Amino acid sequence: MPLESLPSDLVSFDDQDGAVHLKVDDGLYPLEAVYAAAYVFIDRCYVLLDKPASGQTRVTLSAKKGTLAGDAARELVGEFSNELLSCAWRSQIARENRATIEAVTAQALSGARGAPSLEELEAFDFSDDAFEDPLGIAMSWEEKYAKKKGDPKATAPTPNDEAATSSVTKPEAGK
Amino acid sequence: MNLLQIRKPSTTFALPFKHRAIGKEKVLISNTEGSFLLLSHEEFRLFAEGTVPRGSEYWKRLAERNFIRGEENRDAMASQLRARKGFLSYGPNLHIVVVTLRCNETCVYCHASRANMDQVQTDMTKEIAEQTVDKILQTTNPHVTLEFQGGEPLVAFEVVKHIIDYALKQNEKAQKQLEFTMVSNLSLMDEEKVAYLVGKKVQICTSIDGPEHIHDKQRRLPQASAHQKATHWIKRINEEYARIGLDPTLYHVEALLTTTREALPQWKEIVDTYVSLGCKALFLRPVDPFGFADKTGHRIEYPRAEYMTFYRDAVDYMLELNKQGVQILERFAAIFLTKILGGEDPNFLDIRSPCGAGIGQIAYNYDGKIFTCDEGRMLHEMGDSTFLIGEVGETSYRELMGHETVRALAIASNLDAQPDCVNCTYQAYCGVCPVHNHKSQGTIFGRMRESTLCAVHKGIQDYLFEKLGSGDPAVVDIFKKWTTVRDRTHFLQSCAV
Amino acid sequence: MIELRFHRELYDGKSVDEALKIFGPHASFEQAEETAHWIVRLSAADGAREKRVAGELSNYALGLTIAAQAKKLGRAEKTTATAKQEAK
Ligand code: SF4
Repeated sequence: MPLESLPSDLVSFDDQDGAVHLKVDDGLYPLEAVYAAAYVFIDRCYVLLDKPASGQTRVTLSAKKGTLAGDAARELVGEFSNELLSCAWRSQIARENRATIEAVTAQALSGARGAPSLEELEAFDFSDDAFEDPLGIAMSWEEKYAKKKGDPKATAPTPNDEAATSSVTKPEAGK
Repeated sequence: MNLLQIRKPSTTFALPFKHRAIGKEKVLISNTEGSFLLLSHEEFRLFAEGTVPRGSEYWKRLAERNFIRGEENRDAMASQLRARKGFLSYGPNLHIVVVTLRCNETCVYCHASRANMDQVQTDMTKEIAEQTVDKILQTTNPHVTLEFQGGEPLVAFEVVKHIIDYALKQNEKAQKQLEFTMVSNLSLMDEEKVAYLVGKKVQICTSIDGPEHIHDKQRRLPQASAHQKATHWIKRINEEYARIGLDPTLYHVEALLTTTREALPQWKEIVDTYVSLGCKALFLRPVDPFGFADKTGHRIEYPRAEYMTFYRDAVDYMLELNKQGVQILERFAAIFLTKILGGEDPNFLDIRSPCGAGIGQIAYNYDGKIFTCDEGRMLHEMGDSTFLIGEVGETSYRELMGHETVRALAIASNLDAQPDCVNCTYQAYCGVCPVHNHKSQGTIFGRMRESTLCAVHKGIQDYLFEKLGSGDPAVVDIFKKWTTVRDRTHFLQSCAV
Repeated sequence: MIELRFHRELYDGKSVDEALKIFGPHASFEQAEETAHWIVRLSAADGAREKRVAGELSNYALGLTIAAQAKKLGRAEKTTATAKQEAK
């Protein structure tokens, strides 16, 4: 069903599943912006992405707890859209201003860290990985370090969790 | 007027600039290095259409401030930018040490996630205290401000003393310019403590929420008036600073306001209270979403438009008092004006780009845990350890500064990477708080259009530019004076007591 | 039973596998493949549990995918930067 004052061809609400769907035009929003916005919401919602047609991404958001009613769904998808716009614009700005951002960040960090001691130089890891994305620009910190709740590792239920109490058949996953 | 109303905008006359309508009469233009001009609509039209008569007085004003293409003085631009970003060359200078979480007062907006008085396990041990000092003195910054916070630091006064004595001894080797500050509600102060603190030149900061009836309602002290205690000790400590010959403009008790909903209509009483206490500065801080303020938010919060009305009324009144010879300044205004009129950054860590999280300040919890800032530590006390970057006995100084969270915050708070801010006329003077964004919007980057912090920053700068553009020379003179008052911003970093 | 469809252009296959391993003990799973999708059908003791495991599994797979993409992007940018450097 449509949600009040939101375009019904782009946003729809499934009240049975308690999920809200948003269609995103890939030409307007790059995938990295969709990922970045999705990540901001995974501590609050279950987020599923799909491609219903070429040039389009569909984002499905459903509440982690309780059911998602009309007003809450409208608010949620509205906030997601704002975040998506913000992420799309930010990734463009980051590309355009990359030199300035890197210069300021490098100066700030080197000014704060100071020169390494001899022991630190000795212990330094010169392997390739240590230099990958040194400013963490390619990958957002939230993606990497995450708000605790949003971290996929942190959200994975442990065997003591409620979900783990079910009698389960071990799947043959990961093939 | 806006650019859409310009008939033939020139694409070659002006260097990159941003513009914003200020009131009904003026348009503000500013550039990357923070030069600005307040223009009439007609002047703005000439500028945007590129038809300013060459050699005219107006043309010279624009050229001097690097607004005209081909006339720019690149050296001046570079040195202006360098002056504004001077803080980037050094590491953290503000080190907040939480010596205990225990507190004897209960405040409606308590930021610090306090513990009750019997929770002695939240006092810092001697060992952690010494490790903390050792870590602090490793900063690359030659200036170190060690700020005692809590809880209420006077509850763990022995720890405070131990840290001061140990730091002074260790600093004989480290040779930093070391200052101590303490953020206290003052209710546990006594003459012996005053003698020790003043003797060690500790600068003291407290909270005054306005007149007694508001203060005592918001800050509950069992069987006593928190306001009477605080005001008594403010006067007494100021006397003592003066008695030992310290410069009263540098050494006096600084007091801070936390603006709750109840305070909004009482702007005049609040200003009068501060003036009557002999305070020269008033910091009109809105409540923030950290600590208990979050839980009690529905009772004490308010829309930011209401805060801005309060702010304007209060500062208008302060300007009137200044015209009558009373010295009282507003801290937010002084911070922004120092950047706007003074061309330099007072290094207020919450309003700079990038912000001071990690690279400008560090918070050390009673248990040795280290955070990018005090706001990050408060979130940890509320169960969110996102901004935890190490432990005093384990993490090296360079590991702290190179921590990915520190790097991420440096990028997230860089206004050159922030939607909205990149187009904002106030970018050169402003700053964002990624911890505030994280708490209020779920992302360290934040969305400025929906940020209450941005609304406050924008609202205050709108007000200041309106006043600057009002043509009242007395106001401009007062504003200039506010930028020359010695920077005591180290007191003000998230200091809620 | 809930069916989850992970589009190949949006999800990294290894990440979906990894998520399945992690959530293996919490439901029973069936896997299938279509041209554009990896398909996971899962059943648990009751509907609420099924919904929760499906949601957590999707978030987990998405989180790992984003991490993998960012790593790739970092590498690509590094390679481009090196190539530019070498071309000078
Ligand atoms: S935080 Fe707000 S006022 Fe400050 S530069 Fe950004 S958009 Fe402008």
